[in-house]
Amino acid sequence: MSLLKTVLTGAVFSSMFVSLGANAVDYPTHPITMVVPYGAGGTTDISARKLSSLAEAELGQPIVVENRPGGSGTNAMRAVAKAKKDGYTLIATTSSPLFVTPAVRPVGYDSVKDFTPILNYSGPYHGVLVQADSPYESFDELIASAKSGTSISYGTAGAMGGPHLSFELIARENKAKLKHVPFSGAGSATAALLGGHVDVALVPAYRDLVLDSKLRLLGVLDDSRDPDFTSVPTLKEAGYDVEFPSVVGVMAPAGTDPDIVAKLEATFTKVANSDEFKEFMTKLNQPVRVMTGKKLGETIKMNLETFRQVAKELSQE
Amino acid sequence: MLLDAFNALMDIWVLVAAIVGIVTGIIIGAIPGLGPTMAIALLIPVTFTMPPIPAITLLLGVYQGAIFGGSISAILLNVPGTPSSAATAIDGHAMAKRGEGGRALRIALYASVAGNIFSCFVLIVLAEPLASMALNFGPAEMAALMFFALLVIVLFGGGVRLDAALMVLLGVFAGIVGLDPIEGTPRFTFDSFAMENGLQLIPVLVGLFAMSEVFLKLFERRSANQGDMDIPEILPSKVRFIDMWRMRATLLWSSLIGTFVGILPGIGSTVPAFMSYSLARARSKQPNKFGEGADEGVAAPEAANNAVTGGALIPTLALGIPGDAVTAVILGAFMLQGLAPGPFLFRDYGIEVYAIFEALILSSIPTIIFGLLLFKIAVHVIRIQPRHLFPTITILALLGAFSVNNSLVDVWVMLGAGFVGFLLRRSGFPLPPLLIGLILGTPLEQSVRQALLTSNGNLDIFWNSHIALSIIALTAICIVISVAISVFKNKRHQGSSDV
Repeated sequence: MSLLKTVLTGAVFSSMFVSLGANAVDYPTHPITMVVPYGAGGTTDISARKLSSLAEAELGQPIVVENRPGGSGTNAMRAVAKAKKDGYTLIATTSSPLFVTPAVRPVGYDSVKDFTPILNYSGPYHGVLVQADSPYESFDELIASAKSGTSISYGTAGAMGGPHLSFELIARENKAKLKHVPFSGAGSATAALLGGHVDVALVPAYRDLVLDSKLRLLGVLDDSRDPDFTSVPTLKEAGYDVEFPSVVGVMAPAGTDPDIVAKLEATFTKVANSDEFKEFMTKLNQPVRVMTGKKLGETIKMNLETFRQVAKELSQE
Repeated sequence: MLLDAFNALMDIWVLVAAIVGIVTGIIIGAIPGLGPTMAIALLIPVTFTMPPIPAITLLLGVYQGAIFGGSISAILLNVPGTPSSAATAIDGHAMAKRGEGGRALRIALYASVAGNIFSCFVLIVLAEPLASMALNFGPAEMAALMFFALLVIVLFGGGVRLDAALMVLLGVFAGIVGLDPIEGTPRFTFDSFAMENGLQLIPVLVGLFAMSEVFLKLFERRSANQGDMDIPEILPSKVRFIDMWRMRATLLWSSLIGTFVGILPGIGSTVPAFMSYSLARARSKQPNKFGEGADEGVAAPEAANNAVTGGALIPTLALGIPGDAVTAVILGAFMLQGLAPGPFLFRDYGIEVYAIFEALILSSIPTIIFGLLLFKIAVHVIRIQPRHLFPTITILALLGAFSVNNSLVDVWVMLGAGFVGFLLRRSGFPLPPLLIGLILGTPLEQSVRQALLTSNGNLDIFWNSHIALSIIALTAICIVISVAISVFKNKRHQGSSDV
């Protein structure tokens, strides 16, 4: 099935190329830089390196991965927004610097106007988790309890992140007593939940802890269900108009030649759908979620507006 | 199980991986600014195609090697290669200056190995119970522990206590710059995007310790003799087993502190190194020797910062929760090898995991062999003339600061920290408390505020937890002891002068 899909996608795109003319065929003539906005060795870095190494073979030029950590990803975004629009500088980036941080404070770039999305290839699911012996069996029960006056504390990977803003919105709309406790990183937030220091944690990478019956998954913040836990609804399905779609995608500076963008999209889509990449991501415990550049652009635009609204409401307090 | 694991180690590639890892680690650790995190991250792609046991042995070898390697430049040049070796520099460099660099390095090496073996042993025997114990440390307990750590450095770190307290506060203030850990709003960044990260540890460390050394030399009054500097004779550097055996209590305490703090997330290896140093000094019969090249002043921090490696692996592997950047990278490496850390790791991959632990212990042998070989060359660094040495340190400092985030701002931070460090050293203030204040300031603030958030602003959360209460009691006892000692000393001093 996936082989057939790969062949078909390949066929569709190669037929597209025939009509693209000589311009795109000349690209790339020298090495491409792929900027990663986080430190070397993190999941975004490791997956971007694998994707790049698979794409190298297709493009015939090396792709050099460059780590530019800091500012929760905004430093790298700012640098790439100002880079040459020749298709030789790309960025593998995530939800937070794309549509969460820019909604909260000035970052020095516009994630819609300054970038051309190429494709989305991953995005870890964020779950709403409680301890396995918690009285709350469903997300509704949790919110009902918080509405009736019980103060419920929830831990996240950091202040003003997507999970935090999403939950603030729920607290506001339902007049629920949800108290945010930010930690430095999802790992510390998970540990705090395991130790019973917070009631709820909104974190990714929960699979084994749930399977081991240490934690219980009440809902998924994403716009689709986690394939590992298909019985657990998204918050939207549970009746709360909130979602935090997690994206990991490749972008180029806005104004890059459309032919080059098309070639990159075709190449990266092909390798992201390859069995080798899927197997690799499974080991990393990361999903492969391929989305076209156009769709990624729409997701970013829509969420940027939503989160701007949330941040505005929060600051009016 | 342990025997099956041992059999799995009987592979030439495991040996090769251990040696390559350790040697690479020692060299990278010795270069200021390049820490274990970067070394491991860069080697991960190399290990993609290797089988799990040699791959992880290679990466953990780099981790161990780098923690130890940091002490080489700390001892010989007074430039800590990694933050955790800043404590080693105090007595290590004092020894090197009188020609005992080789001896200091050997003590550091043996103490490192001791700390490492201790913590690996704990890792093998007690990983799962200790991981669940660590979970009991919530925000309130962490806040109490960090406050205790700050106080230990001030009370027992040596020097005038008021100076140390001032420096700790200065470090805490420097830590305020950046994003508020709870609200996420910028503080003292003056609308600069680059400052939202705050003052990064490595540029500040390299500036405070390495660059300030260059400034000190630069502004030193020139002696009449403009020629070559007198070079200390390199003294015989033998360290006998009995010398190490005499320090067994210090080594054990330091290893315990290192392992224990390593298990808790987010404190790192610098703080336990200084805590062990302070404890060794407080326990010593000759505390005056500390700072002037005491054997135990080198052994204590080295045993502690190496013991952190085993401790930090406990929550990483048993729960899949990494405590810091290095263990987060190691977590990724385990996953790529198909050994997903977490509750199922020991059940599903027992043989591989125990083989890796045994490799960690056995790699002490190549560490000692290659450590001793490297020292033969390294001790001669002390013979380099200042006019060659200081430009080299400057280049390394600039490179180290830049390489953390590939950011020029960090280079300016490093130079600024260097100048501040120069002024403080000229005025006789100690720098280590400043470093500890910077490391613990923000986490302490974050923990206190987290604790108060979960308790709805009620201070009871600090008294209701047995762990937090015990730590607070321990803190109070330390204050009483420290005050009592100084009152007693003053009285005796007055008494003797009356006679």
